[in-house]
Amino acid sequence: MQIKYTDALIIGGGLAGLRSAISTTDKGLNTIVLSLVPVKRSHSAAAQGGMQASLGNSIMGEGDNEDVHFSDTVKGSDWGCDQEVARMFVNTAPKAIRELAAWGVPWSRVKKGDKETVINAEKTTITEKDEAHGLITARDFGGTKKWRTCYTADATGHTMLYAVTNEAMKRGVVIEDKKEAISLITKDGQCFGAIVRDLKNGELTAYVAKGTMIATGGYGRIYKQSTNATICKGTGHAIALDAGAYLGNMEAIQFHPTPIVPSGILLTEGCRGDGGVLRDKDGYRFMPDYEPEKQDLASRDVVSRRMLEHINKGKGVKSPYGDHLWLDISILGRKHIEKNLRDVQDISKTFNDIDPADEGEKGWMPVLPMQHYSMGGIRTTPQGQSITLKGLFSAGESACWDMHGFNRLGGNSVSETVVSGMIVGNYFADYCKETDINIDTKMVQEALTEQDNYLDELLALDGNESIYDIKDEMRHIMQNKVGIFRNGKDLEEAVKELKALLKKTKNINITNKHRLLNQELEEAYKVPMMLKVALCVAKGARDRTESRGAHYREDYLKRDDENWLNRTLSYWANEDDWEPTLAYEELDIMKMEIAPGFRGYGKKGLIIENPLSQKRQDEIDKITQAHVGDRYELQNKLMPYELQSEYKSINQRLGDENE
Amino acid sequence: MSQENVVESLLGETTQKKKSRIPARLDFLQSATGLFLAIFMIFHMLFVSTILISKDFMLSVTKAFELNFIFEGGSPVPVFIAISIVFVVFIFHAFLAMRKFPISYRQYLRLKTNSDLMNHGDTKLWIIQVVTGFALFFLGSIHLYTMLTNPGNIGPYASSDRVFSDLMWPLYIVLLIAVEFHGSIGLYRLSVKWGWFEGEDSKVSRKKLKKAKIILTVVMLTLGVMTLMAYMKIGYDHQENYGEKYMHTTEVNHAN
Amino acid sequence: MSREITITTLKYNPSDENSKPTFVDYKLEETPGMTLYIALSKIKATLDHDLTSDFVCRAGICGACGMIINGKPKLACKTLTSEFKDARIELLPLPTFKLIKDLSVDTGSWMKNMSMRVNSWIVTNEEYDISKFEKRIEPEVADEIFELDRCIECGLCVAGCSTAIMREDFVGAVGLNRVARFSIDPHDSRTDEDFYELIGDDEGIFGCMSLLACEDYCPKNLPLQSKIAYMRRKMVKV
Repeated sequence: MQIKYTDALIIGGGLAGLRSAISTTDKGLNTIVLSLVPVKRSHSAAAQGGMQASLGNSIMGEGDNEDVHFSDTVKGSDWGCDQEVARMFVNTAPKAIRELAAWGVPWSRVKKGDKETVINAEKTTITEKDEAHGLITARDFGGTKKWRTCYTADATGHTMLYAVTNEAMKRGVVIEDKKEAISLITKDGQCFGAIVRDLKNGELTAYVAKGTMIATGGYGRIYKQSTNATICKGTGHAIALDAGAYLGNMEAIQFHPTPIVPSGILLTEGCRGDGGVLRDKDGYRFMPDYEPEKQDLASRDVVSRRMLEHINKGKGVKSPYGDHLWLDISILGRKHIEKNLRDVQDISKTFNDIDPADEGEKGWMPVLPMQHYSMGGIRTTPQGQSITLKGLFSAGESACWDMHGFNRLGGNSVSETVVSGMIVGNYFADYCKETDINIDTKMVQEALTEQDNYLDELLALDGNESIYDIKDEMRHIMQNKVGIFRNGKDLEEAVKELKALLKKTKNINITNKHRLLNQELEEAYKVPMMLKVALCVAKGARDRTESRGAHYREDYLKRDDENWLNRTLSYWANEDDWEPTLAYEELDIMKMEIAPGFRGYGKKGLIIENPLSQKRQDEIDKITQAHVGDRYELQNKLMPYELQSEYKSINQRLGDENE
Repeated sequence: MSQENVVESLLGETTQKKKSRIPARLDFLQSATGLFLAIFMIFHMLFVSTILISKDFMLSVTKAFELNFIFEGGSPVPVFIAISIVFVVFIFHAFLAMRKFPISYRQYLRLKTNSDLMNHGDTKLWIIQVVTGFALFFLGSIHLYTMLTNPGNIGPYASSDRVFSDLMWPLYIVLLIAVEFHGSIGLYRLSVKWGWFEGEDSKVSRKKLKKAKIILTVVMLTLGVMTLMAYMKIGYDHQENYGEKYMHTTEVNHAN
Repeated sequence: MSREITITTLKYNPSDENSKPTFVDYKLEETPGMTLYIALSKIKATLDHDLTSDFVCRAGICGACGMIINGKPKLACKTLTSEFKDARIELLPLPTFKLIKDLSVDTGSWMKNMSMRVNSWIVTNEEYDISKFEKRIEPEVADEIFELDRCIECGLCVAGCSTAIMREDFVGAVGLNRVARFSIDPHDSRTDEDFYELIGDDEGIFGCMSLLACEDYCPKNLPLQSKIAYMRRKMVKV
């Protein structure tokens, strides 16, 4: 068995991991990126609709800036996010997109003059300004005040991922495909790298590094129905959990309103952003009844719930796969669809034999909310370092640093991947530069042997359970009991059943005993990891007796700022435990730039106010009224935050001179 | 031995650390020689098929190639020169095209398996080109050499005697099929290779090109078979007078 | 009306010295809208836990699941079992790429080599400031680059290509398209001479014999014929 040494080790080759690798390489560090699949196949590629950045180039984005983006993000999170992190994010997003443009992402551009578009289901003409011609344009997305989502048709994640991978290759980042980290090497609360299995030949190698980053994306595959790729199993979270890291807000799971039925393949929010609408079995456009202001483009948690609410009223379309609703984009016209929603059309044609450009009912696509995104993840500081494990960093969807709180806005995730790769990647690089590790090779060898023995033990198990059945059952439990609508009874059962399943994994039997390339062996070590992650989700959801963002409790309908304005932390206290231990981290209202209030969409009157919210609001009002100077100075007075100077600098916009 | 060549052969780049321009020239020349030969093939067919109109007409065309408007009664020299040029181009084209052939059992097996499994039209067309091209190495050479050594022996009777009495017809049948397929597929491939007639939508224009290719093959083959049959018939009727040259009817009348 | 389908796959595990290449038949019941992703997942869960294939996005976006399906290179996740009227489907791993196991091949290493070889990135000396306006690009030019940037490196163009089948070093349509993509990008300052250095040989643009299987099997319908011709015209003039 082999030991490899490097300065920076990055586990996960999606946008966050690769962008971080560019940061570390630019600072002169030897960097290795490990990826389950060739990096250009990472799930980042599946981000379709776009990336939020407040450039404000398009006429419909006029007046946009960091403040508006910040406000949308905080409201979207249902005040669950870390507002300082959200600030870091909104200020860096325009820089991220401009950097990507220079790296070759062919962002759709503003064309001056009249342009026909569909707004509120009606054809409307907008006129783009001459001075914006050739700059990056944007489309509308859910939960945003302005058109802010920049895009390359509906393959935005794909073009971004290719550009970032290309830049990483240009810089000589060592990218190793088909490598899976199966545990972290730790000692005395510090991480020194990982034990890695080569998926091309089954061999184990220890990678020793000054700093280790986990950027492994989400954990949607613990659900039966998910838009996530098959690789999004949360194993990155599980190895961190095993190593003593804390996970944050694991119960905050987003359900996307419009995956196609039954395959669960995502149809981008861009469908509705560009003017598409939801319809029920009578062809009736129902969203305006529920959400008069944002209509089909309220935040995802709200739209998903409204859809199920409407189905429960008997308005769903019957199908062998259960009830669903329709997504109608035919009103956008064939030309628009074939240019800007081409992948959507391709998916619908291939998997459902429906051409969404066909006019009327014929072109409607069957949709139903399904698991889509994990707001929770490895709990880190705003600099991206684990709050408990030194030398372990995390960025992107796998991290909870925490900019999404309890609901993420569409277009903010793909944006977060690169932005966190820039910010956290740089902090990570600084850490690796400053840190010198003294590591005992015997300790590394032991860590390696431990994993080697563990795999042998799994093969030797002689029980009567099938790992495939256990996995299916887990995904079923998560789907039915830890879904969009949650209640105490189901959640209690879910925790109990998941625990029982975790115990069952000790009693499996692997039919094929081959040690190297063996799919069943892979399942045998992955499913227990997934179960641990699932238990964090279920238990966190069970104990959170309020409704916030995507976490919706039928038995606790109100957002409870008095008791639950906090972040759930889950960790594995003892190796022999069958469930995680929970702890909570309070959010400090008195430091917030925007005090908790109504989001502007969703049901009204469902907030248990915290008295501090009003107090903070009064403070904010006072500071704002007394303020003389520009918006940057005001922001600094309300909530000062730290960020690398190259990212904190002011973003140039059209019409800057008017400010 | 030039040092430049030694450097390039060892290192794969020139002394200026640049890639050689030769592959570009070779690729261009392969296409250019192919185009030349294909166009030649079309005109050649049109000329020989004049026999279908009349023996006189065919003779007049032949004499025109012998430049009888300059040399009294025509001279075989211009024909000899023309054939020589075609022969050289032909050899050069064969030499260049050979680079693309499968050259080992493994390559052959992989190509054949892939093509059989895929059943992909344009790939099969190329295999036809490889096979016909290989056949043309020999058939074309024999024909060209024969003509090179008998440049004056072209005419309604001379050619017919060659086809029938000299037993060239079996070779000509195979040659005809090989040339027509090779040439028309080659023209189609040249078009898609260099993007000729691409228009707005290359997928639409390719379909049209393919149709044109099929029409060309059918027309040329039909014409070729009819022409060959005509020479066969004349050759059969004329076998008793083998070697006798055809006289233009006006000349015959005049002699009478 | 459901029917029984038979899926035959090549099975071989090079990491296991006892393994020999064999064809294995799996019979299963077809469900409505069944794709090969669904069918193979079912086989893995019930009939053969050890069958290995590559699926990632299962939506035709990531390019992981290329296979030879009844002779033709295709993305398995986008192939419906109902396409095959005789209910028999034969699966083979993609040729040209190194076999990992069963239907799983190493496209990653191949594509990485290709990217390094054609310098698949923006090359420029132009400085940019990420706080300032991005470079202005004509909307039509951006669209045109996007069109070529849609390649998902699935390897079907390579698997279908007779040149690549015969000659391991051939850069493939994927590589030639990549060069075309950068050659029209205003951010990239490379000249035709620079691109000639990357693809101006028989392993590059001049190795292509225009058999167009790349164009015909590209799951993204990229204009490969047109762009390879475009690069050829440019390169021959250098």
